[in-house]
Amino acid sequence: MVSSKKEIVKLITPLPMTESQKNKVKSKLSRIGDINQMVFQEEVDPSLLGGIVIIFGEMLIDCSLKTQLEKMKEGIII
Amino acid sequence: MILSIDRSIIFQIINFLILVALLFRFLFKPVVQTLDKRSNHIQEEMNKIEKEKKVAEELRLKYEEESKNIHIKYQEMMELANQEAVKIKSKIIDEAYQESEKIKQTAEEKARIEIDKLFTELKMDIIDISTEMAAKLLRERIDTSKQDQLIEQLLEEAISKIEIKSEAQYG
Repeated sequence: MVSSKKEIVKLITPLPMTESQKNKVKSKLSRIGDINQMVFQEEVDPSLLGGIVIIFGEMLIDCSLKTQLEKMKEGIII
Repeated sequence: MILSIDRSIIFQIINFLILVALLFRFLFKPVVQTLDKRSNHIQEEMNKIEKEKKVAEELRLKYEEESKNIHIKYQEMMELANQEAVKIKSKIIDEAYQESEKIKQTAEEKARIEIDKLFTELKMDIIDISTEMAAKLLRERIDTSKQDQLIEQLLEEAISKIEIKSEAQYG
């Protein structure tokens, strides 16, 4: 059972996450929050192409190649 | 000798004188009067003709003067008309030139907009195709090992930024 104080952290990747990747993500997230208060939910979205999207409370950490590509595209258009 | 003159000659002379006197009285005088009257009438007619001639001459001179004035006026009007025509011609040419310049500028502007539009469309198409190709390549080449690298690199950058922001915000 999940504690009401715990926060759901959604991890979206284009490929299913390996244990090593999960650990790496948790290690990095520990620098900005209490990892023990986080409940991780994984989701696979191939349209992301690569990288990871983390939805953490109201925070969105978008490290996907899809977004990188879109930013690059916008940069070229401008 | 004198006595010897024939009496008949004396009578003839007397008769002749009487005849002359009678002729003078009854023929010559009326004839002279008639001729005088005729002469006066002719003179009057001549005077009248002279007068009319004078009037006609005055009229001729007057018409000549008027004709001259009309001619001068006509010349002036023609000159004005020519000047006006030149002005109108110049104005029409100027307006036509301005109109053509306007049409040319509009056409150029339209062409430029059309070229820009086409260029933008082409640019967008190229960008879309390139992005699509890049996405396709990435989709094909991304494996667990590359995904590891991406998570490491991209997430590290994002977390570092959040840390810097947080430090700036809260000291």
